[in-house]
Amino acid sequence: MTIRRVWMIALVIVAVVLASGAGAAPPKDAIVIGLLAEPVTMDPPQITDLNSARVTKRIFEGLVAQELGSYKLIPGLARSWDISKDGLTYTFNLRPNVAFHDGTPFNAEAVKFCFERQLNEQGPYYKTGTYPYVKGFLGNVQSIEVVNPLTVQIKLKAPLTPFLQYLAHQSLFVYSPDALKKHGKDMVKNPVGTGPFKLETWEPGVKVVLARNDQYWGGAPKIRQAIYVPIIEAQARLAAIKTGEIDLTIDVPPDSLESLRKDPNITVAESNSSAVWYVALNTRHPILKDKRVRQAMNLAINKDAIVRDILKGTAIVSSGPMSPVYGPFHEDKTTRYPYDPDKAKALLKDAGYPNGFEVTFFVPESGSGMQQPVEMGTVIQAQLLAVGIKAKIQTMEWGAYLKKYLDAPDMAEMSWNPSIGDPDHVTYMLLSSDRFPPAFNAGFFQNARVDELLRKGRTTVGDAERAAIYKEAQRIIADEAPWIFIDHGRQIIIHRKRVQGFKLHPNFDLVLSQVWLQ
Amino acid sequence: MAAVGGGGLPAYALRRLLLAIPVLFGVSVLVFAVLHLAPGDPAAIMLGAQATKEDVERLHRDLGLDQPLVVQYLRWMGQVVQGDLGRSIPLGRAVLPEVLLRFKATLVLTAGALAIALVLGLAAGIISAVKQYSWLDRLSMGVAVTGVSLPVFWTGIMLIIVFALQLRWFPSSGMSSPYGGSGVADVLWHLVLPAITLGTASAAALARLTRSSVLEIIRQDYVRSARAKGLAERAVIARHVLKNAINPIITVLGVQVGFLLGGAILTETVFSWPGLGSMMVRAIQARDYPLVQGGVLLIATTFVVVNLAVDLLYAIFDPRIRYD
Repeated sequence: MTIRRVWMIALVIVAVVLASGAGAAPPKDAIVIGLLAEPVTMDPPQITDLNSARVTKRIFEGLVAQELGSYKLIPGLARSWDISKDGLTYTFNLRPNVAFHDGTPFNAEAVKFCFERQLNEQGPYYKTGTYPYVKGFLGNVQSIEVVNPLTVQIKLKAPLTPFLQYLAHQSLFVYSPDALKKHGKDMVKNPVGTGPFKLETWEPGVKVVLARNDQYWGGAPKIRQAIYVPIIEAQARLAAIKTGEIDLTIDVPPDSLESLRKDPNITVAESNSSAVWYVALNTRHPILKDKRVRQAMNLAINKDAIVRDILKGTAIVSSGPMSPVYGPFHEDKTTRYPYDPDKAKALLKDAGYPNGFEVTFFVPESGSGMQQPVEMGTVIQAQLLAVGIKAKIQTMEWGAYLKKYLDAPDMAEMSWNPSIGDPDHVTYMLLSSDRFPPAFNAGFFQNARVDELLRKGRTTVGDAERAAIYKEAQRIIADEAPWIFIDHGRQIIIHRKRVQGFKLHPNFDLVLSQVWLQ
Repeated sequence: MAAVGGGGLPAYALRRLLLAIPVLFGVSVLVFAVLHLAPGDPAAIMLGAQATKEDVERLHRDLGLDQPLVVQYLRWMGQVVQGDLGRSIPLGRAVLPEVLLRFKATLVLTAGALAIALVLGLAAGIISAVKQYSWLDRLSMGVAVTGVSLPVFWTGIMLIIVFALQLRWFPSSGMSSPYGGSGVADVLWHLVLPAITLGTASAAALARLTRSSVLEIIRQDYVRSARAKGLAERAVIARHVLKNAINPIITVLGVQVGFLLGGAILTETVFSWPGLGSMMVRAIQARDYPLVQGGVLLIATTFVVVNLAVDLLYAIFDPRIRYD
């Protein structure tokens, strides 16, 4: 083969390759979504990550659902429900004539099967998976009874009001018992639910293709296909949405938002979310146990500057654990900590530390929902130093960090994106003394009144009564300052103009049922 | 590399393969120990803040993580020798088919990068040597030094910004178009940027080595004789110089394959290439012990096989070497 011939062949290959790319235009009725990573698993009770949830929530449904755009509960696979006066018995009337994607009927037996699979350790299908949240979400369940094919009754051991919100979480979604019996452990890649979309193909690492469920009880979606591709690198996601390779994506570099807003082909959709980003303070630390010190640390930090300069406006300043998306449960009138280094110094002097003190400060290198942990940590460190507090930063990789975080650090960054829409899931989960490590109250915050309120909130029925309880708890928490409250991240979704009808949901879900393409 | 006992090539290859067993065993102990002794807990990472104490304990028990390390290792090894690499912790999928599937994509990327490294590296090296101290030599060696020094993730992001975002010649990520387009041309189109990213450093290393290797040979007497008997310069280089300069290049090529497999981890992450590397990064972050262990074993096996192949290739290019 002569050199010239080699060159000719090479040129032909290059020409073919370039030409093949030129023709690829997005189809008219399929939406392409760029995720940060592909789903991990499609077996609802095994899901622990957002990417899996964002895809599988199109395939499966729960007994109850959340209204799009809020945490208000609406009927899902149950048409209606009734809670007994003592708060112990939940009776669900199921939707008739609903079928799973494999054609088998959805009914009370299926609900019982799915819940008992994870709950009953001696059950025949328990070994078909590991169920990360079973004790948390079903631990309080006494029994699940089939009253008739369309009525299922769940009895609790003790009243637990957030239980109804748990039923809107993917780990309690209902799937086809036949499919589970058939696939066993491989249920993770063979999802069969009742939802508006069903799985068409999943090429690991490449793409997940969902197809419209034409028999969907709530009416078939307008788009024919939803294609999810993993795009790990933020710059690549940006390039893909700008060039139209994908229709919708999340988490682009904050610096690029301004140019995206000016792009005539692109819409930047934003809303508040339930996320909270904070620095947990160890309330058992000899110095940090003093409330005045913790308040001084809150006053020392210029949160507006962090939100404006580091996060480029992709968050709002926080003044407590609960973001405004909790609507009636959110308390706005709490102790506030505007940037005031002089007042911070005065408080430190009062507390007996006029010259400050030293603490260690744990910072992860990255992590789920952690925004820009290192940059934010550096600014927090510098601003604490300005009032005399020397915070020695220790950075760690996320997996190691999660373990060290529960090891009683002096102060440590953390963020929390609650997947449950109940106020309990922020306050009780993170700040009750029932939740000391290895649960997530890493600062050992303990306040008798807050504990009492949070326990009461879990068992009280009625939104008005509960709102009063959580508002009081938030007022005390803000004043006690167990954390340095920093921000609530906003959700930012970038989509091409051809995507119509998209609406954000507070828990970062990407709902497609109502979306159409121009 | 050569001088071994009787039996010829097949026996030599077999002995080398048997020697691979203790190597792989060592790799398995090492990767297991490093993973399990490193801080971090797959259960805690999976559960996050919603974890209850009971759920963490139960998950530990279900995953067998409550057992002593030695027991865990022996249990895993017991499966491995039966050809079962276990199940991924968060994925819940069998590890072996998963890593093999991803490995295919990594091989495609590595092959692409190797092709680019070979073509660019050999061409630049030969031209530099033949035209020593010319502007071409200086330019290609300058480019080579830069190429060796550029970190893969930086090259990758720059290529994305220029060729995907600005010029729009190539896609920014993935191995195939999400819709429609599939087949060889589509994969090649997606391969261009990642292969260049990954191949650049190897091309540069090869260019420098080829140059020095060719320079050494080109001064030999038999090259002068070849020229003296009137052979065209192209024939002299191809038949007499390259053939003799090739062995050190093959040695380095074997090392470069290992380098490329390692570099593929970063390249795959930047371009979301669905290979073993991008999967391993995620598995390490999740402390997915079975998946990382399976992936490392597969990479180690590949490396052993490639090295063996390189040793066997010597005999083809240099008949003086005998495996007997």
